[in-house]
Amino acid sequence: MIRKVSYLALGVAMGAAVAVLAPDALQAVAPKAFATAADTYRQLNLFGDVFEKIRNDYVEKPDESKLIEAAINGMLSSLDPHTSYMDADAYREMQRSTKGEFGGLGIEVTEEEGLIKVVSPIDDTPASKAGLMSGDIIAGIDGVSTQGMTLDQAVDKMRGPIDSAVTLKIARGAKKDMKDYKITRAVIEVQSVKGHVEDGDIGYIRVTQFTEKTGSGLRSTMEKLKGEIPADRLKGYILDLRNNPGGLLDQSIEVVNDFIDKGEIVSTRGRNPDDAQRFSARPGDDLSDGKPLVVLINGGSASASEIVAGALQDHKRATLIGTRSFGKGSVQTIMPLGDNNGALRLTTARYYTPSGRSIQAKGITPDMQVLEDVPAELKGKDDNLGEASLKGHLKNQAEDLSASQAYVPPDPKQDKQLTAAVDLLHGVKHAEAPAPAPAPSTTPNEAKGDGPKTDAAPVPEPTKSN
Amino acid sequence: MTRATSYLSIGVALGVTGALIANVVSAATPGGSAGLSLYRLVFEKAFDNYVETPDPTKMTNSAINGMLASLDPHSNFLDAKALKDFQTSMRGEEFGGLGLEVMQDNGLVRVVSPIDDTPAARAGVMAGDMIVKIDATAVKGLTLKEAVDKMRGPARTHVAITVERGDLKTTKVFDIVREIIHVQPVRSRIEGGDLGYIRITQFNEQTYDALKAAIAKFRSSGVNVKGYILDLRNNPGGLLSQSIRVVNSFIDSGEIVSTRGRTSDLYQEFNARPGYNLSEGKPLVVLINGGSASASEIVSGALQDLKRATLIGTRSFGKGSVQTVLPLGADGALKLTTARYFTPSGRSIQAKGIEPDFKILEDIPDDLKGKVQSLGEASLQGHLKNGTDEQKGSDAYVPPDKAKDTQLNAAISLLHGKPPLIKASNEPAK
Repeated sequence: MIRKVSYLALGVAMGAAVAVLAPDALQAVAPKAFATAADTYRQLNLFGDVFEKIRNDYVEKPDESKLIEAAINGMLSSLDPHTSYMDADAYREMQRSTKGEFGGLGIEVTEEEGLIKVVSPIDDTPASKAGLMSGDIIAGIDGVSTQGMTLDQAVDKMRGPIDSAVTLKIARGAKKDMKDYKITRAVIEVQSVKGHVEDGDIGYIRVTQFTEKTGSGLRSTMEKLKGEIPADRLKGYILDLRNNPGGLLDQSIEVVNDFIDKGEIVSTRGRNPDDAQRFSARPGDDLSDGKPLVVLINGGSASASEIVAGALQDHKRATLIGTRSFGKGSVQTIMPLGDNNGALRLTTARYYTPSGRSIQAKGITPDMQVLEDVPAELKGKDDNLGEASLKGHLKNQAEDLSASQAYVPPDPKQDKQLTAAVDLLHGVKHAEAPAPAPAPSTTPNEAKGDGPKTDAAPVPEPTKSN
Repeated sequence: MTRATSYLSIGVALGVTGALIANVVSAATPGGSAGLSLYRLVFEKAFDNYVETPDPTKMTNSAINGMLASLDPHSNFLDAKALKDFQTSMRGEEFGGLGLEVMQDNGLVRVVSPIDDTPAARAGVMAGDMIVKIDATAVKGLTLKEAVDKMRGPARTHVAITVERGDLKTTKVFDIVREIIHVQPVRSRIEGGDLGYIRITQFNEQTYDALKAAIAKFRSSGVNVKGYILDLRNNPGGLLSQSIRVVNSFIDSGEIVSTRGRTSDLYQEFNARPGYNLSEGKPLVVLINGGSASASEIVSGALQDLKRATLIGTRSFGKGSVQTVLPLGADGALKLTTARYFTPSGRSIQAKGIEPDFKILEDIPDDLKGKVQSLGEASLQGHLKNGTDEQKGSDAYVPPDKAKDTQLNAAISLLHGKPPLIKASNEPAK
């Protein structure tokens, strides 16, 4: 019996994930026709022939593990963009990340005018112990200038194996005094759920990814908020899933279950019809006391986030505000390959919301579409291109939609989506979103008259932990 | 015993080649490695559990292409159809196409050279152009073979090619009508009144015979030929065997080239056979430029080392490796880099190229400035390394009007006893 993990996220490194045992579902494979089995055998032999020829005849002695890795990557790239091979190191990183941990420094960073800036060091991490301060500019990482780096690239460079060292060149203060900090990476725990009281009577909950700790994190956050706002004053909750790339399937189910008491949450279907699995709410797990709920989504809300948003929308349990979500409607299973060989991350199923729709390459359209004001320098760069624009994505009939806004202003006062959510829960009519339902069918860009945006720019996120 | 073909060319399919039978024994070891069992494990898991029923042939082809791409830019998988096209092209047979020599570069397809007198050359497609779109299909993500398949087609059908040219990435669209491409490897004429000009566009199975015929034609023309100009500019290469015969047509004895594989028993030396020299010792100038690669470099390197010819032009491409076509039965063949070659003096030109004796630059029209360089082997991703003094980038422009062809005119002057003004040593190569 192989332990398998169902995983739903866009990226690996940043992403979430929690282990779910999908017991026999994947073993039950449709019996293959003899012809197919013979063909498979022939293809394996052909590959073996080519491999042997390279091994024996190539002009230089090839690195066999490099050859095999290139072959496996090539093979998997012919399937879909979410299927990939993880070598032993990458697999360990992924496991850590699903646990909500990674090897890093413990700072939240953001990008401002092309500079990588420290938002805040996290308490009790190597970064805060080394004396990094909020507002510091990271000018270099291990001797490489951050000029021209994207936020993601800078974050990748700062992350690394536990106990390894990294040297940051820091510019501080108005004089931009430069100083090097040598910092040793440690295990950093990701806080996947954060909450606070918004406007005195609303419980605001931000879920950044779905890790093993998300379900428990959400429960404790809701308990804390209930302690801070008396039940008779609590107007409702805002669940912020913007730029949440996804994570573990079982955690997304738990999150939905915290807001509903019964009914189907999601179903998954693999290649074999017998593989279908339905996940339903367990009665008694609903913590929300039926209080109104607004879910915030945007073009960076993917996968597990879309399961949550889709289920709560289908159940009419929440009003969705924001922009159309990413559109990743597939489930990946992590299959360990044993013997320090790493693991295979394979797309094994599509998922369907309770009403039976697949959001693959379409995304979820919010009930109220609200666009953020994008600063001039980010115009055209703030869109997430979405699943439908990924090469080799699983097709979903003719109407695949791509590109949706994914910008969240760093200053909450300028966050129009958040403001719309607060207004809705306070019963204020919102000028920009006259019709809560049915969902508008136009794309955000058309609605705003900005014209199509197709730049393949990184998704700006307000902050990234590292 | 496996039948195999030694092949030397940059670029595939639309070009060149000729078949040399080298007997390369593929000693298939039975059993397999740990790597191979990992591959099988992943293949089977993916095949059994993927969300849709995958196509095992597509999976395998992608795996093989991925593996070969990790080796070097000249190792390719030819499926059954690609192999057939390849053999057609090696035999110099006809096909419906544009007349382009192309190669994979950074996920796109780069023009090595347009073949003379083809629709592509007439439309103005140039060496170095990056093909980004074929009709409405983006090239990014296509394999070289897929791109070539899209460009080929029946004669008199249209295809629109979008190319990016130069650093400024000017985009140009060419609407080209396909023709039957007659791969004519040799063209010849009398130049400067008494010089035999021979242009070899590629080394396919017919190259040597065509060269012999060209020299015979000079003899029967009544002109007393004083010397020869062998033009190898923008010749991307082809068959090793043919390059050896071409050299032998100008020398009587001596080593022409040697090839070295991974192990010492794969060493092969090729020597001139007496009685095959067709040139009667007449002076010889060889023209090369940044588009002269592989088999062209064997020829110019040997003739330079043996002091048989004076080389004029710009530094050559720098492809110093030999590919062998290893048949895979009904599945096609593997074109694998199996050896490096060395000129008679023992130098490898891999990623360095051959420096001409006289470096002569063509005058490049303003609108083409900076756009007609061949980047050379050294700038290809994953090329075989060759020490620290690798050289990249060399002009590859030949003016369509021969009156303006400075390199050709320098060759004519030299053979008429007037050395060109610029000596290689005065003009340090960059």
